[in-house]
Amino acid sequence: MKDPYEILGVQRTADEAAIHAAYRKLAKKHHPDVNPGKPDAAARFGEISAAHDLLSDKDKRARFDRGEIDAEGHEIFQQRQYYRDAPGHEQYQPAGGFSQEDLEAFFAQAFGQAGRRSDWGATGRARPGRDMQYSLTVSFVDAATGTTRRLSLPDGKTLDVRIPPGTEDGHVLRLRGQGGPGYNGAPAGDALIEITVAPDPRFHRDGDDIITDLPVTLQEAVLGTSLQVPTIHGPVKLSIPPGSGTGTRLRLRGKGIRSGHQFVQLQVVLPPGDEPELAAFLKTWTPRRSFNPREGS
Amino acid sequence: MRLTAVMALFPDLRETELQAWVERGWVHAQPSQEDWEFQDIDVARVRLIHDLRHDLAVQEETMPLVLSLLDQVYTLRGQMRAVARAVETQDEAVRAAILAALRE
Repeated sequence: MKDPYEILGVQRTADEAAIHAAYRKLAKKHHPDVNPGKPDAAARFGEISAAHDLLSDKDKRARFDRGEIDAEGHEIFQQRQYYRDAPGHEQYQPAGGFSQEDLEAFFAQAFGQAGRRSDWGATGRARPGRDMQYSLTVSFVDAATGTTRRLSLPDGKTLDVRIPPGTEDGHVLRLRGQGGPGYNGAPAGDALIEITVAPDPRFHRDGDDIITDLPVTLQEAVLGTSLQVPTIHGPVKLSIPPGSGTGTRLRLRGKGIRSGHQFVQLQVVLPPGDEPELAAFLKTWTPRRSFNPREGS
Repeated sequence: MRLTAVMALFPDLRETELQAWVERGWVHAQPSQEDWEFQDIDVARVRLIHDLRHDLAVQEETMPLVLSLLDQVYTLRGQMRAVARAVETQDEAVRAAILAALRE
């Protein structure tokens, strides 16, 4: 069996929720009973189930990560029986038998579909290959800065997928000629890779700009300081000028996506618990310039 | 297969839940003297509904829609096979004519 992280399209650092979400998304799509016409769906679904089984068990996942166990021994999933393969579906037929209309409609559809399989390929007609769909989950930072990920295909081939900087959630990459083979000299289909971008609590995206919230203490805001802040290109030092407040926006030039910037929004956080000295001072203190923060808003 | 035998296949399935599936007509188990009798197809269907509800988190109110669509797909496939078999038994010339008409 292939690497379970690659099968689910998740990072090795993905948490349980991300693994579960990736599993559900793939399982819904590839469940053999939902794909009665695709013989390879059972193998694909078995692979997905086995990968999920391994990674959702904390103990097994840790042992796999340490290299103590490999991904073998989970193939049992592929041997279970599916509804689509059980005889006797007539039991569950909706009422109503053949009608002329039905017959014509599915003649058009059924034989159109059968024709796409290889049995018509043998008649010498050129048919381009099918497009294949895959999904891949990347971290926010990888999607923002761009990266290359290796994807294992169900047929055992691997595909290096270049994810360009600034790739958005739900974006579909098309790799020409990496899909199903064509028949009788026709070109191969494409691989369509849907990218899921995992959210990162530290960053938000606004076009090519990155927005970060940075909590600061009252002293840091009033007196100014220099702090380390995360950027998608790694941590940098940011100097907070004296007299900053909640809502002050500081720009980190060129630290966004492509030519975008990162904006750091300060949030002044008051100290927890009682501060009698601060309260006493504020009682006697009047600002040099009186102002009303609610005015003119 | 009796209700208890089916229950044994799914450790995380409660008996009341399985009964509810039968009562709603999602699974066509036959009433027997004591409880229910499940054919192979019914057990396969329990496994499918179990996958959908427990592993894939399909909402309960969405299930009738999902099952109805699935049943229509399986019925259509059965009908399609019936027609394909009927075509198979025709003379070569008739089959060729049908294929030619379909390629239009």
